[in-house]
This record gives sequence, C-alpha cells and structure tokens, in this order.
Amino acid sequence: MINELLLQFGQWMEAQQYSQMLVAGYYSYSWLEATHVLTLMVSIGSLFIIDFRMLGWILPNVSASTIADRLHKPMMIGFAVMFITGFLLVYAKPVETIQSLWFRIKMILLVLAFINAWVFNAKMKAADGSWNNDSVAPRGLRTGAILSLVLWCGVVTMGRYIPYDWADCDKTQNPTILWAAGCVDQLKVL
Amino acid sequence: MFNTILSQYKATLSVFIVLLVIVVLELLQVRAAIYPSLLPAFQWLKNSTPLGYIGTTYGSIYATVQAMHLLTMGTLGGLVLATDLRLLGVMFRTTPSEVISNGTHKAFKVTLIAAVLTGIFCAAGVADKVYYMPVFWVKMLALAAGAAFVFLIKQPLLSSKPHSEINPWIIRGMAITSILVWFTVAASGRWIGFS
Repeated sequence: MINELLLQFGQWMEAQQYSQMLVAGYYSYSWLEATHVLTLMVSIGSLFIIDFRMLGWILPNVSASTIADRLHKPMMIGFAVMFITGFLLVYAKPVETIQSLWFRIKMILLVLAFINAWVFNAKMKAADGSWNNDSVAPRGLRTGAILSLVLWCGVVTMGRYIPYDWADCDKTQNPTILWAAGCVDQLKVL
Repeated sequence: MFNTILSQYKATLSVFIVLLVIVVLELLQVRAAIYPSLLPAFQWLKNSTPLGYIGTTYGSIYATVQAMHLLTMGTLGGLVLATDLRLLGVMFRTTPSEVISNGTHKAFKVTLIAAVLTGIFCAAGVADKVYYMPVFWVKMLALAAGAAFVFLIKQPLLSSKPHSEINPWIIRGMAITSILVWFTVAASGRWIGFS
C-alpha cells in the first residue's frame, strides 16, 4: 500500500514541468549534485569536528560548548543547503529515486541521525557543564557522538550508492529487495 | 638585509623557486614530453595492481571507498574552514587562533592521509580514464599546491611565533588562499565525476 502511494506521488512529481526542466537542463542537475556534495564540507565537516571534540580527538583544550556553539550555525546552514538541493535532486528524478533501495535506507538513517542529534542536544543541555573543559565528554555524550559519526557515514555511503544499479527494480528478482525498494510493477509480475 | 630575508622566508622562497621551475619546465614543453610516458604507469595501476583489480571487479567495494573519500574530503573541508575562518576572525573569536590552528593540524594531517589513500584507490579503478581528464590533473596540481602551502608555508609560519606578531594581512591572505586551494581540490574532484 505504502509503496503504491509513494510510486503515485513520484509519478505525479515526474509529470510536473519543473521536474522535467531540472533533468533536461544541461548543467542544472550537475550543479545541484555538485552543491549537494560540496556542502558536505560545511555540514558534515562541522558536525564531525563537534563529535571529534566530544571524543577528545581534537581541540581538547577548547571547551566543548564553545566548539558546539560556534559550529552550530554553519552546520545548520550547510544542512539546510543540503536538504534543499537534496529535495530538488529527488524532485528531478522522483520515480527512480523513490524506487531506490539505497535512497530508502538513507532516509531511515537520516531520521535516526536526527533523533540522535535531538537526544544529544537534550543531554548536553541537561548536563551541569562541569565536564565542559574536560578533554573527553561524559559517556552518554560520547556514545551520542559515536552514533552520530556512524549514522552520518551511513547516510553519505547510501547517498554514494544511489547512482549504482545493483538493486534497481529491473536488476533484481529477490522479492524482499523488490519490496524494500518499492518496485510495485515487478512485485506484481512475481 | 638580503641574508635576513633569506633566513626568515626560507620555506616561502623554496616554494617560489619550485613554482618558477614548474613554469620554466612548462614553457620548455617538458610536461608535454613527459605526459605520454605516464600512460603505462596508469595502465599498470588499473590492470596489474590489487587496487585496480578490486576497483574494477567489486563495484560495492569501489562505491564504499568512494563514500569514504567523500567523508574524508568533507572532514578536511570542515577542518580547513574552522581554522581559516578563525584566522579571518569570523569564528571562535574568543579562542586564541594559535589554539585552533595547532589543535586542528594533527586531525588535518590524518584526514589528508586518509583522503589521499582512498583517492589512490578510486583513481586506480578508472586510471586509464582519469589519465585523459584535464580536470584530474587540475585536482592533482591543486592537491600538491595545497599540501605544499600548508606544510611549507602556512603551518611553519603560524607555529613559529604568536599570531599577534604576524602581519594580520599575511594571516588573512593565507586563510583566503587556503580556503580557495582546498575548495579547488574538492570542486575539481566533483568535476571528475561529471566527466
């Protein structure tokens, strides 16, 4: 049911003029992709510095809250650009992307990464701050930092897998993969 | 006075001489003569090394290493921006710039090594293709220039004395140069994907 709805949504987007224009433009899709990838340096770059600081791998003599506060804004700007360009990339090729197994895993990992970030922020605010100048953050925050690193590495890896066709609807016969990728037509044939 | 300048700016002069030699060699068309002889090395990298074999045979491993390369470049970019924006006085203003530039340098070195190693693997899988891409050579040149700039000019100068004793315009110039060079490395890398 959900796969049919997502497919219909994708087909509706694909029928729109602006979606077709984005793919048809000689440079538009490439510029979007380039901006999406290059903004990694601002978003992931800032996030990883915060995580590395929590783990004591970098700048141990600068307070953790200073690092987190100062990098929060550029990180959020970076993620905002990534989400806008990411949405436009999906909008340009909606059916292909919605039926990509890697895109779906990427979205799940993104949600998990945001839940982790929310919990991490809540823990940081709840902490009394006595650890702020310690070279390593308390265990709970360290766990959050490691989870953040793992989840975002997963997000980037899944994003890198999307252009590859190993699990495309017309390349696999495995029913579980077909279902997970939302290959509605191929599942009907099976 | 000449001796003072020579001793103070040894690294800068060395880089200048290297760049001058490159320009002279280019004018003498030495690069054009050497370029064809590099092709067998690229073919060997793809066809006769384990890196080339894995890169061409196992697509999933190749894509995973590509993702690792992206992650290392993202981290490298973050470290460069954090350091250089501090040098420009845009970020971390309450923290001494010495603390930020020295504190990020070790992570920069580790990340750069990881980026180069994953990059060699990525290039090995498509070595005979990248050889013919001008943008690949732009990236290599930018990478060499970036590494030379950081290790021979920027870091030696920043760690040689308190930053307050260095002309602020030199510090700002170095920060802007660093951002531009590393952005060129990343952007040309992305461009390879389009070619």
